[in-house]
Amino acid sequence: MLATKAFPAAHEDLIHDIEYDFHGRRMATCSSDHTVKVWDCDENDQWQCTASWKAHNGSVWRVTWAHPEFGQVIATCSFDRTAAIWEELVGDQAKDGKTQWVRKTSLVDSRTSVTDVKFGPRHLGLQLATCSADCIVRIYEAQNVLNLSQWSLQYEIQCGITCSCLSWNPSLSRMHPMMIAVGSDDPSPGTGGKVHIYEYSENSRKWKRVEIIPVSTEPVHDLAFAPNVGRSYHTLAVASKDLSIFSIKPLGKESLGSGGISKFEMHRVAEFSDHESQVWRLSWNVLGTVLSSSGDDGRVRLWKANYAGKWKCIQVINGNGQKMSTAKDSKIVTVTSSNNQIQRIYEVKPV
Amino acid sequence: MHTSITRKLVNETHNVFVMLQGQVASSTGSNLQSQMVMSSKQYRAILKACSMDLMHMAETCEDEGERESFEDQIQIFEMIQLIWGFCQILFIEVTPDGLLLNQLLDWIKWHFTDGKRLAVDILHDEIPAEHPAYWEAIFRLLLQGEVDSVRKLLSLNTSNQNEAFLSVDELLRKMPQWAHYHHALSAAEFDMKWRHWRDECQRRLEEGHYVAFPNLETLVMVLCGDENVFAEMKDMCGSWYHLLVSKMLYQNPTVRAPDLHHYAEACMEEFTLSGTRMGELDNILLAAIQFDIHQVIKDSSAFLSTGSWWFVSHFTDLLHHCGQLDTQNLAYGSNLREFLLLEYASSLMSHKSLWQVGIDYLDYCSVFGRTYITQFINHMSLDNEKKAHKLLHICEERNMQEEVQTICKVMGMKSLRRGKLGAALSWFLRSRDVTATSKLTERLIMEYSKTGQFEYTDILDNLGPAMFLSNRLTFLVKYREFHKLYESGETNKAASLLLSLLEARLAPRTFWITLFKDATPLLESKEVIFNSGQTYVLMHCLEELRHELDAKTDISQKLTDMEKDKLDLLQLCLTRNLSKAIKAEGTVKTS
Repeated sequence: MLATKAFPAAHEDLIHDIEYDFHGRRMATCSSDHTVKVWDCDENDQWQCTASWKAHNGSVWRVTWAHPEFGQVIATCSFDRTAAIWEELVGDQAKDGKTQWVRKTSLVDSRTSVTDVKFGPRHLGLQLATCSADCIVRIYEAQNVLNLSQWSLQYEIQCGITCSCLSWNPSLSRMHPMMIAVGSDDPSPGTGGKVHIYEYSENSRKWKRVEIIPVSTEPVHDLAFAPNVGRSYHTLAVASKDLSIFSIKPLGKESLGSGGISKFEMHRVAEFSDHESQVWRLSWNVLGTVLSSSGDDGRVRLWKANYAGKWKCIQVINGNGQKMSTAKDSKIVTVTSSNNQIQRIYEVKPV
Repeated sequence: MHTSITRKLVNETHNVFVMLQGQVASSTGSNLQSQMVMSSKQYRAILKACSMDLMHMAETCEDEGERESFEDQIQIFEMIQLIWGFCQILFIEVTPDGLLLNQLLDWIKWHFTDGKRLAVDILHDEIPAEHPAYWEAIFRLLLQGEVDSVRKLLSLNTSNQNEAFLSVDELLRKMPQWAHYHHALSAAEFDMKWRHWRDECQRRLEEGHYVAFPNLETLVMVLCGDENVFAEMKDMCGSWYHLLVSKMLYQNPTVRAPDLHHYAEACMEEFTLSGTRMGELDNILLAAIQFDIHQVIKDSSAFLSTGSWWFVSHFTDLLHHCGQLDTQNLAYGSNLREFLLLEYASSLMSHKSLWQVGIDYLDYCSVFGRTYITQFINHMSLDNEKKAHKLLHICEERNMQEEVQTICKVMGMKSLRRGKLGAALSWFLRSRDVTATSKLTERLIMEYSKTGQFEYTDILDNLGPAMFLSNRLTFLVKYREFHKLYESGETNKAASLLLSLLEARLAPRTFWITLFKDATPLLESKEVIFNSGQTYVLMHCLEELRHELDAKTDISQKLTDMEKDKLDLLQLCLTRNLSKAIKAEGTVKTS
């Protein structure tokens, strides 16, 4: 059973990003109208806008939530070359249910548009990664998780290629060192593979590039690591001209003196051109078993692997909320926004 | 699936599932097998009950669309029951001698009830023999092996005294049925007996005993197992599997499971030739007859899982425990049974109350269960305290300490957001988060110094050893103790506590002025409470404080004049106390 809800987002321009919070009861949207809005879902499953404010001086590209153990915190990044961190004010709520968000800090190190911002996995503390068109990924850390005004720039990773998106590997296992995948939308094929994978080396205390995915030569719009529920390999989905899913299996370290570089066995497990157009955004469900993708064809597709590891499309949803064809349902909550500034939430529930 | 029925199905089958897992762990051999059969029957019984509920709801339902969906669901349940019953016979309830005709007959009788219903109608009719469906009922019952009912109906026929009828009655009466003989005879002996009987039927038929009554002739042809007549009878069977069982009854009653598929294909052909198309259900049953369990599961997953993994997951689990499934691990990391159970459990997680059942199922998934539980719990919204406590209990049962801490931290933050500092404090303590506790305590301390009032005294008074989690907290508790002592008049104890607080440097520097202020009434009292030694310590502390505050170069933190005055006043108090103390100590008490 597919339940869809549509409600006007009241943004005055294109909505670039929507993110659910950790529990799926709150949502943040950001737009080219420079504002960010926060929405809450009440007991009757109705969404209300509880905050709206001008966040930047340019289009806001992405918004992301931190883990609730740090409080109600979001980060945004924008065309105005900054990324900002916001916290919801503690205290009594105003009578109309609206809450106040304050800027805790602005990160102004980038010289160009900041294209993506993501909080790191929480077992690493409160870390934030941003990537910009100036080819640099910056990793910040909050020194004191209770005082979000103090962030220090810990690492700068030179990617050598203009960055459009990044994703932290959310693996819960402490055996896996920190890993980030960075995608580039550089249009020229001469710059090689557009997906780079970086890993943090404890020995040298630096981020090093460990892989470039050679087959991804088209500009990448979005990429996302799947939550790893105990598998021995990582799964990375890449959205570019079509949708690809890669399996990345760590093979242990090749020790080269003091700094061992991890080796990986990587192969593409799925490639789909069902959208027949550019694929723009990806989102995984909580378990990393279902992937949703949206494309220029105005459709959202859900993908799932069967027990033999073969991926296929299990549902196609039209951008206006109508089901195209049914195959199977699963637990996933997908959110899409379209150019006409209407938000739709698709909740695919088991019947 | 519709909610109340879904919940019933989920909860009741959950109980069966858990019991089954327990029995698998504790029993073996034939004892285990009988438990399996029982579990299988219980599952089917629950399905049947839900089916009946659905039927009832469909009948009383007014909305056309809803009724349609109920009926769709009933159909699916019917199919599931059919498949389950069949597979139970083939894979689970395997008889020692391998003969399964009786079970198959029971299965057919259970699912195809037209014959019986017609018979009941006819019996209630005034002139049964003239009922239009008279012969149809007889044939239907005959094909299901209901020999006694057939005899009864025949006896109602107007010509029942005719020789032909009496002859048929005799044949039917003497028909050997395995159900009656299986205790006494071996399969081979029964087979001989049966062939003997069949030859008798054949003889009488060929001798033309029934020429006058074409229907009787057909009947006896069925008894002889005549191939052609079965082609005519197929409409009475309605489906190829019914035809298969009926044929076996009259052609080969000692058939064994592995041989079934030889006959199955012929039966299917009968139906496909006349234009019926084979649907998914037929494919699944055929795969079962061919003992291709994986195909059964695969097809069932594809066809019957739209909307629910209930059937394939429980079914596969049962087959797995019967040893019928290949247990090797697949590419994704575990076996098929676990895959399906994971899917089923995941599908329950978004339900507002069935998620707990889901977690239970995940406990039985040995490879991925725990991580799935962790992921789900991490993402579960902590709507209220009750749910948080439930989750905490679940985590503690499973020894998931990290998740306990995270939940407590998040709940602490939530309480903080709502301004409920006391609740926040107890959550942070439970999560053993030192930083958050300290920060919160500082806030409490600040509030006290502003308002002079203590809130949350109950929590502070009942902390016990937890207060040592954070220095700040220890201080706050001890400070509260100081106040209590002071109010109850135990001034000496209060004084030494205050002194130890200052000495141990537990208090934040900013709070020292307040502490000194608290000390002032003690200093000013007529009796000597602080002796000289203690007074020296106090003076030392004051000096330290003054020194530190003076050393601050930041203009905004320099002492205001008022504060400077306060410190001077304190100095004065201390000096006066010192003199009092020295005098008191130096005085010899005259008795």
